[in-house]
Amino acid sequence: MLLITMSLSFFTTFIEGKKSRMYVIAKREFFSLFKSIKSIIVIAILFFTSFYSAKYSEFLMSGIELSSYEQANIHSSGLQILILLFGMLFVTGLSHDTINRETHERTIRFLVTRTSKSSIVAGKFFGIWLFWTVCLVVSFLLVSIFSQGISHLIFGQTLSLLTYQIALAVLVSTIISRPSFTMFLGVIVGIAFPIIGIWLVFGSDSWFSSIKFVMPYYYLLNDDFTYLLILLLAAALIGIATQLFKRREC
Amino acid sequence: MIAIETNDLKKAYGKMAVLKGISLQIKKGEIFGFLGRNGAGKSTFINILTGIANQSSGSFSILGAEAHRSETKKKIGVMPDYSTFYEHMSAVDHLRFFSDLSGNPASKERCIEVLKSVGLNDHVRKKTKKYSFGMKKKLGIAQAIIHDPELLFLDEPTSGLDAESVIHIQKLISSLQEQGKTIFMTSHNLDEVEKICTRVAIMREGLIIKCGTMDELKSFYRSTMIVKMKHSPIPPSERETLKKWLKGAGTDLIMKDQSLSITVSSEKKIAEIIRALNQSKVDVYGVHVEEPSLQDIFMEA
Repeated sequence: MLLITMSLSFFTTFIEGKKSRMYVIAKREFFSLFKSIKSIIVIAILFFTSFYSAKYSEFLMSGIELSSYEQANIHSSGLQILILLFGMLFVTGLSHDTINRETHERTIRFLVTRTSKSSIVAGKFFGIWLFWTVCLVVSFLLVSIFSQGISHLIFGQTLSLLTYQIALAVLVSTIISRPSFTMFLGVIVGIAFPIIGIWLVFGSDSWFSSIKFVMPYYYLLNDDFTYLLILLLAAALIGIATQLFKRREC
Repeated sequence: MIAIETNDLKKAYGKMAVLKGISLQIKKGEIFGFLGRNGAGKSTFINILTGIANQSSGSFSILGAEAHRSETKKKIGVMPDYSTFYEHMSAVDHLRFFSDLSGNPASKERCIEVLKSVGLNDHVRKKTKKYSFGMKKKLGIAQAIIHDPELLFLDEPTSGLDAESVIHIQKLISSLQEQGKTIFMTSHNLDEVEKICTRVAIMREGLIIKCGTMDELKSFYRSTMIVKMKHSPIPPSERETLKKWLKGAGTDLIMKDQSLSITVSSEKKIAEIIRALNQSKVDVYGVHVEEPSLQDIFMEA
């Protein structure tokens, strides 16, 4: 809870003053995400999985050998696995066209004539991030009904992973101008990304496996604050997206 | 005070040059009309000035400051050439969102007032997916003025509107100028530009080929004015001599029994023709000089 309070505090501070226009875009993005049927389905899957995996988590403890830390946090395992394997799919499913839809339909012109391109990218990113943060907080609250508490580490790791996935979706939406193509690509990336990422983490030490350092999964191995490096990767992705978008004509 | 200043602004897509060096100064309080055939580069020019596109080279300033600064963007209103809106939002929701984004939030009352001013009073709550082309055009103007900007860019504001709406929007543009706003507009409606614009630039193939007030442009083209005269019958003995003289005085001579039409290069020639007719014992009853319209100037350019 401390992390989310800090994040929201940072967000609120960031959006004040000169960044208020970014807030307007973030607010619109945030509320529009709740309006589509796709989001409602994703929220339902998230809450359903969180609640029932926490409720029946004791079954897992009987069949698998787990560390004491894992045993202590077994209630949130269902939610963790869901985000780890399907988080990318959910994020791209909802936000694959966050930038390119506006460019394609030319509504972006109303935005770029009013605010900077960096504010648009940042606003879109924070709007989606806030949506997922709210969903995640509610999911963890559901889990806490059974676990009687929330592991800050697991929450932080899950939120960092989602932050990376959101940043990647924004980048893809900036690079590819056709929304229909990002929808298709989103499904492919959503399925392949976690498989490749996890495979690279546990794969051999060939040059190919060095790609794991730019993917988030490697930084989730340890039960410490290594996961914060994922936020740096996410920031780099947003930085690239912003630079590309600045060069692009609308 | 200068509202817009561009210096040798160029834009190219690959090897294709769309703008070939536009240098222009537009004063505050003007309604500046930008004319040109399709593909002349008008919209590209507006898109660069408003941040939609980037220039290849050259520089420009808006209201005396760098165009891409937040404070500058707050002072400009833009109606792009192609207006699509968020389909599931109403006109009022659009205006509230856009005014928030401009850093000058508008109340619901202000939004309704602006929508009324563009003639959308009966459709303020309707979602824009149900809007006609003309209604979207009007909403395009409304969103450009909602935050009370100092400078307006209007890309073909009246194209596709019915006659009544055109007059309504033209009056609105004039009233905005009376409030001290500067308006930069493109149009294909030459009568409209002639009627409401204080200065006009004509663009061709990425260059401004003519720029000035309507009077300046007309005086430039007055060198080829058409003069029509009604007169008494020309005596047969004088006819051939007179015809020969008139051919030397101007071009496109059409002589009938009691009228003639000739294109001359200056106003002096009109007096000379009248004197020549009088000397040939022909009385001049009436003289009509056809002023070049903006359409003539545009076609000539």
